[in-house]
Amino acid sequence: MTKRELREQRRAHREALEAAEAAKGTRRRRFQILGTGVVAAIVVIAVAAIVSTSSNGSPADTASLTRSTVVDGVPETNGVLGDPKAPVTITEYVDLQCPICAQASKTTLPTLIDDYVKTGKVKLQARTMHFLGEDSVTAARVAAGAQQQNKLWPFIETFYANQGTENSGYATDDFLKAVATTAGVDADAAMKYADTSEAESALTTANQDAQAVGADSTPTFTIKTGDGAEKVLLVGAGDIKPELDKALAAQR
Amino acid sequence: MTRITTIAVAIAGLAIASYLTIVHYAGGEPVCAIAHGCATVQKSSYAELLGVPVALLGLLGYVAILASLVKDTETTRSVTALLAIAGLAFSAWLTYVEIWELDAICIWCVGSAICMTLLAGLATTRLLRAPVR
Repeated sequence: MTKRELREQRRAHREALEAAEAAKGTRRRRFQILGTGVVAAIVVIAVAAIVSTSSNGSPADTASLTRSTVVDGVPETNGVLGDPKAPVTITEYVDLQCPICAQASKTTLPTLIDDYVKTGKVKLQARTMHFLGEDSVTAARVAAGAQQQNKLWPFIETFYANQGTENSGYATDDFLKAVATTAGVDADAAMKYADTSEAESALTTANQDAQAVGADSTPTFTIKTGDGAEKVLLVGAGDIKPELDKALAAQR
Repeated sequence: MTRITTIAVAIAGLAIASYLTIVHYAGGEPVCAIAHGCATVQKSSYAELLGVPVALLGLLGYVAILASLVKDTETTRSVTALLAIAGLAFSAWLTYVEIWELDAICIWCVGSAICMTLLAGLATTRLLRAPVR
């Protein structure tokens, strides 16, 4: 081998070594990039989780809801609105998701409350049914929690004032908390109660009562005097006054 | 070949994200094979992140991935891989929220998550298998 050939061979060897080194560097860089990607992925998940948690349940949610004033100033005792000694009991069978119930809270309820409940002629109670879907169940459970604080009616009426599309999944924990807070309910306590077996039995009782009186659609208003039999008075969101006056006159 | 497949998957993801973004701003309900699941997810409090719809974030992600696929260099391959891995993480978070927080499955979101998973796999393979010079 000549001197020149030897030099060429050394150069080729050196270039091969350099190329191998460069390739090794590139591979290392690529793995570093993928490692950065994994770190970025962890950061993305952490940021999304933190932002979601802090934005959910923020006061802004509450601020955007409407508070119903329909039952303002009327005392409530364990879900019974008005004077507990009133001789006549009106029961409203509702499903919080039912749009006609929300309509009744504007058309039927103001007269009922102003002319009959506030005057001590009638006391009003509610049975929250839950046949329309999953949102009805969760809402009814929280309503049971509100009842423990003597705030069932403000909760129900405020729920109607902010009612969403049926079964669209709007009755999330955040929404229910916001409704409860807007209605003046201790939201955390109501949500805690919603998970108890007592809340579950309140739902079962509502269904049993509805079945017993034959209330198969909502809203259904029933009437009961003293220990007498409970009878259906009005179904839907119409004017309750004529039927109620007739029933009250007949019971005198 | 990997690049062409990656582009095709990114376009599919872009189509899904565009549809969900349009539905979000139109205020409608997505056409959904699983009853009400899409509407539940789209109307939940998790549908937006700091006021920005997650569907729009997805759309922007797919646009960025497609933009990084225009040229085939070491840098663009790295950018594609980084974006796709971050996108995969975000999709994983959203899927977790769907299953565990909302109890609802949005078939479009699952479609997007599958696209992002494929993109992360393809982009990583493309980066690691590219010829070393």
